[in-house]
Amino acid sequence: MKDKALTVEEAAGPATGQADVLVIGLGNPILGDDGVGWRVAQEVDARTGRADRVEVDCVSVGGLSLMERMLGYSRVILVDSIQTGISPEGAVCALSLEDLRNPGLGHSASAHDASLITALQTAKAMGAAVPLRVDIVAIEARSCHEFSEELSPRIAAAVPLAARTVLDLLGT
Amino acid sequence: MAQRITIDPITRLEGHGKIEIFLDERGDVANTYFQIPELRGFEQFCLGRPVEEMPLLTNRICGVCPEAHHMAAAKAADAVYHIDPPPTAKKLRELLYSAFYVTDHATHFYALGGPDFIMGPDAPVAERNILGVIHKVGLEIGGKVIQARKAGHTVVEIIGGRKVHPCTSIPGGLTKGITEEQRKEIEDMGHWAVEFAQFSLKLFNEIVLGNKAYVDLILGDIYTHRTYYMGLVDSQNMVNFYDGQVRVVDPNGKEFAKYAPGEYAEHIAEHVEPWTYLKFPYLKKVGWKGFVDGAESGVYCATPLSRLNTADGMATPRAQEEYERYFSTLGGKPVHQRLATHWARLVELLYAAERWVELATDPEITSPNFHAIPTAKPTEGVGVVEAPRGTLTHHYTTDERGVLTKVNLIVGTTNNYAPISMSINKAASSFIKHGVVVSEGILNRVEMAFRAYDPCFGCATHSLPGKMPLEITIRAADGHAVKVLKQYC
Repeated sequence: MKDKALTVEEAAGPATGQADVLVIGLGNPILGDDGVGWRVAQEVDARTGRADRVEVDCVSVGGLSLMERMLGYSRVILVDSIQTGISPEGAVCALSLEDLRNPGLGHSASAHDASLITALQTAKAMGAAVPLRVDIVAIEARSCHEFSEELSPRIAAAVPLAARTVLDLLGT
Repeated sequence: MAQRITIDPITRLEGHGKIEIFLDERGDVANTYFQIPELRGFEQFCLGRPVEEMPLLTNRICGVCPEAHHMAAAKAADAVYHIDPPPTAKKLRELLYSAFYVTDHATHFYALGGPDFIMGPDAPVAERNILGVIHKVGLEIGGKVIQARKAGHTVVEIIGGRKVHPCTSIPGGLTKGITEEQRKEIEDMGHWAVEFAQFSLKLFNEIVLGNKAYVDLILGDIYTHRTYYMGLVDSQNMVNFYDGQVRVVDPNGKEFAKYAPGEYAEHIAEHVEPWTYLKFPYLKKVGWKGFVDGAESGVYCATPLSRLNTADGMATPRAQEEYERYFSTLGGKPVHQRLATHWARLVELLYAAERWVELATDPEITSPNFHAIPTAKPTEGVGVVEAPRGTLTHHYTTDERGVLTKVNLIVGTTNNYAPISMSINKAASSFIKHGVVVSEGILNRVEMAFRAYDPCFGCATHSLPGKMPLEITIRAADGHAVKVLKQYC
């Protein structure tokens, strides 16, 4: 490796020949309803029929790692659980990244990383190919502190609607 | 009028905690509480599963250091099967682990701990992050950080089978080895990592050590605690992240205990407080005397600062030079000033990078002898590694089929729960006094007390944050909010 300043794209190195659109299921698949993002992404993957321009992945990362995964795609759709404490359990909502307040600005808010928004701003400042559009499909969850591979009934029932919401965003 | 201040950084991105500061009627700090929400039911979740699943399952506990759990679980599974992996397997695991350390320590310094110094503790909160660092120090630094992370992730992927959540360690070694071509790629990245670590130490030297105000802050009493320290050491008492014996030194730096990982239960006990679900580990032979310093208190600390205090040195030449400079600058061993942990972390960063190159150039590293088939009847075993945030212990018991019947974990940050709580209390009591307006800068100085420990709340969940990231509510005795500070723009 050469010792020269790399752009973030060069450093993080997006895969060649990758799809235009990335759907990411976020969460922990063994932590109860926190794993709903994975289930929705898997259902989207099955329904899109692995269309060439759409890639689907499931990850358990945040902040810089998540930003690094998103580079090089023109558009990213994140699917995740959300805890507003206001919406009813299982409610599905579509948000833009700007709808979320930046949790990293509190600094301690992130135990060991930058927030996703700060990470994306950092990448953008360095001239990286950050997605032009980031959508978020969020499912209101309550039970995210107990280890289980199962979704609770209300969250499981929300998976088809959440998947449909992602597909609508994809125009599929 | 009694007041209550809550620092409540609610986010599910990388775990979350809450600091509550209670003021007395004079406006001085009466007490502080640092609460970490505990994830429940992990032991129950694991029971009945084959022990060889644990390196895959436990790396889902934590979104910050899955590699550490993967290694501790693999070592515990080795012990359960009474199998000693061949040297190549151990070296490959340690090589993966060294690259992970570079990634993890670099991320902490540039994204979390460093901004307090590079931007200053009073800088607006919106600038005290990696974006601020890049704007101040230069774009190229962002490229270096991303490149360091990319290199570390690549090594984890080559040896561990996939990025971030490795899957190749099994009882007796690994499922695959590496080719000469892969070895060369890893070696090249390792040389770059050594230069990056040296660059990071130079940056710390210029920005932090070159600023008298920062040096005074580090050396001052506010962030100082005289406790016991814990860390893994090799046969020469040098720092080791992957293997060795657990060594504990007393507040004067004298060896207090040294034991094999399997003996941990003879040395560590856990104290329970009514205001938190998480337990406070302490040294059993000293005893729990409360949240206090000194040789009479069983409180110990397990961090980069602790590991440097515990060991006699670093096993690689450049890191050893930095180790010597660190102690000579800070007045000898042990170093009790918690903010020096940021410096200790960079010394470890250099060691990890040098060890990466050492292992990548080891003649045995490409050997096909990377697995030994277990033949003994599985019973019980303990695996210990140094996670970046402290000594990580996995303890499993199985039936004769290797099916888990008991699981116990002591994770890195848990070791430090008592000292973190003490550091928060001391900083809060020092900065928040009667008549002082509780500003963002003051609260950040309180947060700096626990940020030095790089706390991880053992949480790999990623629910989107539903509340504001940092809210400080000052409440009157009757419970109504008299003032609300919001720590975001």
